[in-house]
Amino acid sequence: MQWKSSLVAVAFAGVSLAAMAGTASAAGPTCKDGTIKVGAVSTITGPADFSEVPKATQAAFDAVNAAGGINGCKIDYTIADDKADPAVAAQAARDLIDNKEAVALVGSGSLLDCAVNSATYSRKKVLSVQGLGVDAACFSSPNVAPVNVGPYTLSTAMAYYATNQLKSEKLCAFFIIIGGTQEAYKKAIENWEKISGKKIHLIDLTLPFQGDLTPYVIKARDAGCDAVLTNQVEPQVVQLIKTVDAQKITGIKWLFLAPGYTEQVASALADTKQPIYVGTEWEPFTEKSSPANAQWAADMQKAGRPLTAFSQGGYLAAQLFLKVVASIDGEVTRESVTKALHEMQPITNPLAGSPYVFGTAKVHSPMQATKVMRLEKGAWTVETPDWVVLPRAK
Amino acid sequence: MNALLTSAVAGLTAGGTYALLGVCAVFTYRLVAVVNFTGAAIGTAGTFVLFALYEAGFPLWPSVLAGIAASTVVGVAIGFIMTRWFGEASASTKAAVTVALLVGIIAIGLRLTGGQHPHNMPELFPGSAFRLAGVEVTIASVLTIGLAALFTVLADLFLNTTKVGLNLRALADRPMAAELLGIRVQLLSLLVWGMTGAFTTFALMIIAPQRSPNFMTLSLLVVPALAAALVGLFRSFWRTLAGGIGLGLVEGMASSVDSISQYRSAIPFLVVLAVLLWSQREARWDEAR
Repeated sequence: MQWKSSLVAVAFAGVSLAAMAGTASAAGPTCKDGTIKVGAVSTITGPADFSEVPKATQAAFDAVNAAGGINGCKIDYTIADDKADPAVAAQAARDLIDNKEAVALVGSGSLLDCAVNSATYSRKKVLSVQGLGVDAACFSSPNVAPVNVGPYTLSTAMAYYATNQLKSEKLCAFFIIIGGTQEAYKKAIENWEKISGKKIHLIDLTLPFQGDLTPYVIKARDAGCDAVLTNQVEPQVVQLIKTVDAQKITGIKWLFLAPGYTEQVASALADTKQPIYVGTEWEPFTEKSSPANAQWAADMQKAGRPLTAFSQGGYLAAQLFLKVVASIDGEVTRESVTKALHEMQPITNPLAGSPYVFGTAKVHSPMQATKVMRLEKGAWTVETPDWVVLPRAK
Repeated sequence: MNALLTSAVAGLTAGGTYALLGVCAVFTYRLVAVVNFTGAAIGTAGTFVLFALYEAGFPLWPSVLAGIAASTVVGVAIGFIMTRWFGEASASTKAAVTVALLVGIIAIGLRLTGGQHPHNMPELFPGSAFRLAGVEVTIASVLTIGLAALFTVLADLFLNTTKVGLNLRALADRPMAAELLGIRVQLLSLLVWGMTGAFTTFALMIIAPQRSPNFMTLSLLVVPALAAALVGLFRSFWRTLAGGIGLGLVEGMASSVDSISQYRSAIPFLVVLAVLLWSQREARWDEAR
């Protein structure tokens, strides 16, 4: 009897194995060696540190891997440091693509990855779901589609907010121009002029990266600006407002982009009475209790990562990529991932105000919405509970 | 015309800073024969000690003193390196060493102070002194210009009328001979390094709230300061003072002229170039060529 029952058991196991294999081939992604290789190029050491972005992507992938992966496939994620050096960035991208055989780049955040590597990505037919698009090339390349609004669209959106909701009549714009960003910022203002039907009162593209800002705030005052939009980054935001206060200027609303939206800026400017507004890239990260932030905050805390705006970008890139991979039927390869991203339907995520889509366009900036924060007594408060969505130009 | 005057006055704050740091650079050069690129960085180190203590909740003025003490130590340490290992080196080697030290200090400073993140900067002398041509001239900028003038007068008197001043000049020109004459070379040099360190720190603490509060930006104030020192050919304190203030005024005016304002930050370099070209035609620079 013993051998008979064993035979039945073996036969039963064989049938169920065959059934499992059948379902696997019918639907869902599969992978060789049980892994899907993904990479990111990020500036970690050097003049800036964007490592929060890919580290949040990593945390999101780790969570999926811990739960068994996507259909059994674990994500093997590699973060390369480009040190803000073009040669290192180019080498890092080639290593990820050729040696690590990454199927896509997800959650990159770098000063120069797009500018240096977008041609490589096009040539190798690999796509980058950029966690934080910084340089202009991130928004003007066929193979990169950032999950953030980016400084140029955000400039247009903040100008739109100034005239549409703050009722600014004399909007002025002061920009720091680094590298080849001049055209992109000019275009951002032109787009706003088309949308609003208004003209910019004063545009100055000579704001210094370092140096005294007194002449500039005097210029804004004497030109009669009622609102000033600038792309100053963290420390310069503080410097600008301190200079404005020293010059006893009142009656101008100061609008900044996402880099100004940090806890450090808030505490450094706790004493000022100037009206300060910043545009965010995603759901405001300081709103810890916001339902839109709940899943991100929970996952970050579980992974022991800080709750910063950068980490929202990396996390969002991971979530969007995971959804696209889950929609693939068959083996996950560079070709199938590229195809899936090209053909994907727009995906909404509560962290962002616009649905994300990669698509086959020559340039990508899918994110077109911001929430505006106001600085009051050293704390950020939400000024627009609803997303400020940029309408299409007339 | 009025706009030009307004923007010139707006450049005063920067001018006072350049003058003060420039005069310190000339002081260092004349006493220890080093073109010191680390001047502003030493001051920045002390300024960040002040920020750190202030942010941690310590009272303001004891934190200022602690910051000044810290940068005096940094100044003396750099002075020790310069006198101990490069005492007999040529002027260009010494300058190159201070450039290397500057890069090192900035790298360490950026790491320790959280890179680009801004800091909570206390204003030591808040408020504005008076209004001129529609610009609030702050107490801080009046104070920097005043301190620069004071330091100029004191340095001139010290070098020309006191025995210690005379000894120090001997030390800068002929360190070996000075040592043979029984002058305590090492001690006096370290004194100079410590003193200029303390002085630049106080200057930077005054102006820091008006500048971008990160380590690199403050350290690189040395560039316009050295341009001002070059206007004084690293000799004359008065011409350095005028050079620094002039540089600030020109920068301020440049920002109101659209066609040149984007090249505004290049102005110190143009000044350096112009002064070098002008000075090169003189015979006493022959050996430098």
